[in-house]
Amino acid sequence: MKGSVIKYERDNIDTDVILPGPYLKIHDYAELATHAMEGLDKDFHKRVKPGDFIVAGKNFGCGSSREHAPIALSYSGIKAVLALSFARIFYRNAVDGAFLLPIEIDESAYKDISDGDSLEVNIAANEIKNLTKNKIYKMKPFPELIGKIIEAGGLFNYKP
Amino acid sequence: MSKTLFEKIWDSHIVTEENGRSLLYVDRHLVHEVTSPQAFDGLRLNGRKVRRTDLTFATMDHNVPTSDRSLPIIDQTSSTQIKALEKNCKEFGITLFDINSPNQGIVHVIGPELGITLPGTTIVCGDSHTSTHGAFGSLAFGIGTSDVEHVLATQCIMMEKPKTFEINIKGKRKNPHAVTAKDIILSIIKKIGTAGGTGTVIEYRGDTISELTMEQRMTICNMSIEAGARAGLIAPDEKTFQYLRGKKYAPENYDDYVNLWRENLKTDSGAQFDKSFTFSAENIAPQVSWGTNPAMTTDVTDIVPFPEEYGKGNPEEEKGATKALQYMGLKPGTAITDIVIDRVFIGSCTNSRLEDLTEAAKVVKGKKVSAKVRAMVVPGSQLVKKNAEALGLDNIFKDAGFEWRESGCSMCLGMNPDILAAGERCASTSNRNFEGRQGTGGRTHLVSPVMAAAAAIHGHFVDVRELDLN
Repeated sequence: MKGSVIKYERDNIDTDVILPGPYLKIHDYAELATHAMEGLDKDFHKRVKPGDFIVAGKNFGCGSSREHAPIALSYSGIKAVLALSFARIFYRNAVDGAFLLPIEIDESAYKDISDGDSLEVNIAANEIKNLTKNKIYKMKPFPELIGKIIEAGGLFNYKP
Repeated sequence: MSKTLFEKIWDSHIVTEENGRSLLYVDRHLVHEVTSPQAFDGLRLNGRKVRRTDLTFATMDHNVPTSDRSLPIIDQTSSTQIKALEKNCKEFGITLFDINSPNQGIVHVIGPELGITLPGTTIVCGDSHTSTHGAFGSLAFGIGTSDVEHVLATQCIMMEKPKTFEINIKGKRKNPHAVTAKDIILSIIKKIGTAGGTGTVIEYRGDTISELTMEQRMTICNMSIEAGARAGLIAPDEKTFQYLRGKKYAPENYDDYVNLWRENLKTDSGAQFDKSFTFSAENIAPQVSWGTNPAMTTDVTDIVPFPEEYGKGNPEEEKGATKALQYMGLKPGTAITDIVIDRVFIGSCTNSRLEDLTEAAKVVKGKKVSAKVRAMVVPGSQLVKKNAEALGLDNIFKDAGFEWRESGCSMCLGMNPDILAAGERCASTSNRNFEGRQGTGGRTHLVSPVMAAAAAIHGHFVDVRELDLN
């Protein structure tokens, strides 16, 4: 998985800024995507490219249980969010619907990665390669259940 | 072996378990219009039925206008979502409390008041504030739409076992009418942070909790999610059993259940929690949030913090506070009581129950809303509204200049006509002060119902301990 970074140096990026409440009435995923991150970054939609990664601080996705949040990011082209930590409902929603990968990184990787950097994520090796800076970071391995759901391609494909 | 209350409920609901992954049985599934349409679509697409229609209950709350119910819904997308829920419930055979039902209301208000919420049960709902039901000793999780579909189809949920977190709350509040359950939970979130409970189920314990009424306990459990927890729990006691007695969906042989609950639903002495936090409620003050997450909260007697002091040497925290103050349009050093407000919202699944309205009405009675403030009361359910009207609370609020509205989520989340305009500042009894939560550019201060009512009268925050509330 290769892509470039859109970085938000912020903790507690909540689901209300990822996909503001008024858009929860939208049923069409492509249309939802046009409002992704609108509460925080009005230019996100213009800036994001298929395959991009979001890099952010602690407690990404806190707040509401709206699955619309990972859906909007996913349909914008975001393949993974790399954050110091995640709120749990967002984390499960991202994985259950196979929308995007919620990847936990450590402080040093978070500080080192800059907006616009090219990354290559290797899940099997639990590694993130920064192609721009020629560095390698470790990612936190997925817990067993999460890893299996990801491998299966979402909750409904997962057979215990 | 000694077990916590959480472990007892968890263990008794395991269908299968393997390497920490558990398939849990779900006793009650609450459904609303916003997080369910795609789930029903998924069922149709795969030719699946709802497995237990008798354990699934639906209502519409997020989208519904809180104005005159006899008028059509103007917003077409809201109307479509509401109609979709009607159609889905009819097609799949689910009990729906629709917009004209005397039992319609915010899903977390109607669950307990109808006795759908019961001690020792597992409850899920496609809404993060499902934690509210934990006040009854029910293990209640907020879930997303994929999980909603999974539960509709299987009546089970696949989870990893959360950790246990004990929060011991001790001490008698000097003025419990002024220093409320909302102030307790905001004070706790201020201390442990918005991720303080991540991955855990919190059990609230201690003499302060025992002293709280059921409705106050719901306010506490409701905001567990604002501390990042998967769920909040309070062991049921005589107050719990009394509250649920005679409710519409409470079991018929109620006393037999009470005996079982009384015997089993408590944490054994000697049971170990993964994490523990002790909090003294004795000297806390009414709380007002100043920032853009619920941990950014302070005493009403305090000032808007200086970011460098708030950050305590952590540059990320300092930066967060600076951004929050910028959004909120607040200057560090301003006295909280000098913050002038434009709007007041008394409502939401956190604070829209009869007791919340009764307490707020004490502040309002015989007074007038400040000329510069628009204030509204939105009862959590039609039943709350009816009971409040029987007590004459509607007239107290209306005489003072409050709007008295129909039940729903209303201005908590900005997805129905009740929203803030950009730049408007609101004293709100809801649960989230995120940027844009109550409307793009809107500024939210989280407070208790009495604090919101007093702010409506005075046009700015006041310390309600100085008022006569008894």
